[in-house]
Amino acid sequence: MSILLLLILIPALYGILLLVYPSKVKSFWEVISVVISAYLIFLVLNIWGQPQNVIIPWAGFGMDFQLRFYQFSQFIVTAITVFVFLGTLYSTRFMLDHPHNNQFYGFLFLTEAMAIGAALANNLVIMLFFWEALLITLFTMINLGKEKAFKTAVKAFVISSLGDLCLMLGIGITEALAKTLVMTDIHLETTGLGAVAFVFMLIGAMAKAGAMPFHSWIPDAAEDAPLPFAAILPTVISQLLGIYLLARIVLDFFTLSLEMRLLVMSIGAITILFGVMMALIQNDFKRLLSYSAISQVGYMLLGIGTGIPIAVAGGLLHMLNHAMFKSCLFFTGGSLEKQTGSTDLNKLGGLWKKLPVTFGCFAVAAAAASGIPPFNGFVSNQMIFEGTLQSGYRIFFVVAILGALFTTAVFLKLGHATFFGTNQPESEQSREAHWTMLTPPIILALGCIFFGVCYAFPLDYLIKPSLSDSLREGLALIHFAFRFDQLLWFTLFTLAIAFINHIIGVKLDGRGLGAVEHIRKAPLLNTVYDLAERRTFDPYVQGKVVGRYAALGLFGVDRGINWIYQEFVPTVATFVGKARRFHNGLYANYLSWSLGGFVLLVAYYIWFF
Amino acid sequence: MLLGFVFVPLLGAAIMPFVRKIWAKGSTYLSVVVSTFLVVTTGWIAYHNILTQNSLTLEQWIFGQSIALKVDGLSLVILAAIGLVSLVTAIYSAGYSFHPDSRPGFNALLLLIVTGMNGLVMATDLFTLYVFLEIVSIAAYILISYQTDEYGLEGSFKYMMLSAVATTFLLLGTALLFAVTGSVSLTDLAIGVKSGNLMVQLGFAFVMFAFLVKAGMIPFHAWLPDAYTAAPAPVSILLAGIVTKVGGVYTLMRVILGVFGFSKSFSAMLLFIGAVSAVFGAFLALGQKDFKRMLAFSSISQIGYIFMGFATGSPLGLIGATFHFFNHAVFKSLLFLNAGAVEQATGTRKFDELGGLASRMPITGTTSVIGILSTAGIPPLAGFWSKLIIIIALWQTGYHLYAMIAVFASVVSLAYLLTLQHSVFFGKIKEGLEGTQEVAPVFYWPAVIMASVTIACGIFFPIIIDKLILPVNSLFGLLVK
Repeated sequence: MSILLLLILIPALYGILLLVYPSKVKSFWEVISVVISAYLIFLVLNIWGQPQNVIIPWAGFGMDFQLRFYQFSQFIVTAITVFVFLGTLYSTRFMLDHPHNNQFYGFLFLTEAMAIGAALANNLVIMLFFWEALLITLFTMINLGKEKAFKTAVKAFVISSLGDLCLMLGIGITEALAKTLVMTDIHLETTGLGAVAFVFMLIGAMAKAGAMPFHSWIPDAAEDAPLPFAAILPTVISQLLGIYLLARIVLDFFTLSLEMRLLVMSIGAITILFGVMMALIQNDFKRLLSYSAISQVGYMLLGIGTGIPIAVAGGLLHMLNHAMFKSCLFFTGGSLEKQTGSTDLNKLGGLWKKLPVTFGCFAVAAAAASGIPPFNGFVSNQMIFEGTLQSGYRIFFVVAILGALFTTAVFLKLGHATFFGTNQPESEQSREAHWTMLTPPIILALGCIFFGVCYAFPLDYLIKPSLSDSLREGLALIHFAFRFDQLLWFTLFTLAIAFINHIIGVKLDGRGLGAVEHIRKAPLLNTVYDLAERRTFDPYVQGKVVGRYAALGLFGVDRGINWIYQEFVPTVATFVGKARRFHNGLYANYLSWSLGGFVLLVAYYIWFF
Repeated sequence: MLLGFVFVPLLGAAIMPFVRKIWAKGSTYLSVVVSTFLVVTTGWIAYHNILTQNSLTLEQWIFGQSIALKVDGLSLVILAAIGLVSLVTAIYSAGYSFHPDSRPGFNALLLLIVTGMNGLVMATDLFTLYVFLEIVSIAAYILISYQTDEYGLEGSFKYMMLSAVATTFLLLGTALLFAVTGSVSLTDLAIGVKSGNLMVQLGFAFVMFAFLVKAGMIPFHAWLPDAYTAAPAPVSILLAGIVTKVGGVYTLMRVILGVFGFSKSFSAMLLFIGAVSAVFGAFLALGQKDFKRMLAFSSISQIGYIFMGFATGSPLGLIGATFHFFNHAVFKSLLFLNAGAVEQATGTRKFDELGGLASRMPITGTTSVIGILSTAGIPPLAGFWSKLIIIIALWQTGYHLYAMIAVFASVVSLAYLLTLQHSVFFGKIKEGLEGTQEVAPVFYWPAVIMASVTIACGIFFPIIIDKLILPVNSLFGLLVK
């Protein structure tokens, strides 16, 4: 059997086994889970660099079971397996007390199987199948969380399925235009119906990646769902898949017109600003991180949307980098939650002495996220900045720089509020976390440093092979050293402003947590933030309001129809019942009607003909 | 071959007395065989002529050169409906509790009525048409009163007396037209009536009156509910399903298309009568408390639709009318089959005494839902498409008000049909009916056949329209606008 099939079947079958057999996962199953997730990494590495295809005839009409393992998908699949391995390792301790942790592991492995399938698929229908299957695991995994989790799960399900529905429509139109479902054979223009197909598929990819306006379930899920879910599903697996599909759409399937490029870039820019501005005012560790994750998706959209080689490469690199530092941050958040019992920033403070390793990992990842050299986030940020400058639309560059400024401010606030300042009584007795919960963030933090210092490694081995030839040629001319040009100085200047802003904020408010209060209370932003906190900008909440009125309207229609049949019809029936006595059975009566009609008929004829 | 449509059933009717002596029960089989033959032959003609020649006009002379029989697209659809309805009637009558001696007589009359209808459909002159119409009518009078009970005799008598008036006027009209043009053949009349004097107008009015009475349009309808309700179950299936439609609607369509043509004032009159029948028929149906009586008024309403579609005078309207003619034959006989089955199982037709039968009679209940939905015009059943075509035709020809009236009547139809379904089949089972059981297979199989035809016609309606109904269009060379 092909290894590609094994890559899907092993986690799928193991996931089902976990769901069916043990009622609660204990040490034995934990070891097996970690071993299997590690084995999957080994399987991928085993066929690394050996492109191969699997084609199994299936439903006909061009819907064959086609998998394609090549540079791009091998990169995505490797990343998925590595992150699931880290997540599994982390969960062994974190999920130990959860009453249904077998379901968690089961759905985690199913998610892995479906995500690998979606990344490997070379047929749009097959991809859609795996893509939609992820919807189920998304729902069930969120549902395993706290008491509010069910509502959040429904919200996530509704929003994601809306995106998937658009994707389905887009695939349908694409199939009609391209006359094929094989992904490697699709080459379309974004004109006429092609533009419709493109926009629908774009919505599908963006909804998966969590860009505006499909983002609103992610912060809720981060808060309510089990933490390892937040650390690896929306921020890593969904984003990897979403950006993967986006890159395929933008670079392979369609040749984009300028308007479409601007559309993608604008969505990216709006997402950057919105996400980071929302992250700025959060007072919960996990909510803040998830808003920051939304904002980072914007960078990837912006980078890939430009279509300029350096920015596309930067966008893809940022996808990988973001997955690393953001899941590292989530893991440290999980350690905090486990050790202190809370992720509310008001209850945290001065923890760096109590959890030094956690703090170290956090510092590295936060620095990477802020784009501080020499960590990995810096490299990809610089590439995207450079690309936006080259694209000729300076406004996007300004937005990207602003986003970086606020991101730095966000992480300064977060780090300050969590690890410095005064100890809060709630977290007085905390100790360092268990080693299984420290290993994953340590690995990821080391990765952040490694990818930052030796940035040529991921670029040469992961990103460049994934790009098409024309883009790769454009990339070969560019070398990304720490060039002491204006851009570097500009970035450093931005970082300096962020630091100064932080110091001023702390001086003004007196607490690390209040470092951005002056921004929060700025005249115009104040109103916008108030509206945002009332969820005015959440399409789901607004949609529910609209839905309620629509439902009331439909209820009225339903009652109206009911009234017609319950009240109106019987009334008419009684009335007609009285008219029945005209049909009294007298032949002479009936005959006279007929003859009356006859006379009218003849009169009409004589008159009109 | 066209002679077979007349003479095969006639021969069947003629040998019934001998069958009665030898094997009384076999008379039913004979009817089934004859009507199956008719269905198959119609199907074969449709298949052969439409698929191979893509047009359809068969003509055959009999009795030397004196009488011609002709089949075109319109008559073929009607022949198909006649064959289908007579087939299910024959099957249904196999289970019906006739007096043993009277069964062959019933079958003989059934075949006679089929003879009359087939001849009527193929007739090419007004007098032949009159003769066949009388054959149909006389057979129908006897059949309605076949159980010789009080109601049967009363219904039959009313039908006979009103029909007698009508056919007298038909004869009178024929005589007037003959006096003017010197011929009774439809093609000669079409040339002759162009002069358009008072005699022709009177003749036209008399003929129209006759057909309107036969079709049971308001205000000529009063005989119809009594006759339908009083007739034995198999007879009311035949009567409601096909006899009155062929006797009144088809004949009127044929005479208008073949002889008089359309004019604005004529369209206006026919539309008015059709709309009055559609709306008032539906409202009168709403007040009924008797299963068969409600269906009878529903028939009046549906014939109103056929007339409205036809009265537009546009090709689309004729197609809609023809398709609705066929559909109505199918679903109305289906509903009368259900009414017969309910009466057979419970012994009553009164809504007050019925209720919740769907759980006890699942097949009858289900087929009845299909029939009702098709009558009310719910997609994807056949009735929806034909009503839709009629309404579109009304709108296209500029009769917007009538189109809206048609939609309104359709809503009222849904109301009374749901009332019917609700009070007979849905809800809780009525006290005293707990022991009710599904009727014998011979009663429900015809209903299953008709329900399948309705569903198939609805789902494959493009094919039906394309292959069976569209040839009707060729008649429109004759239209005078």
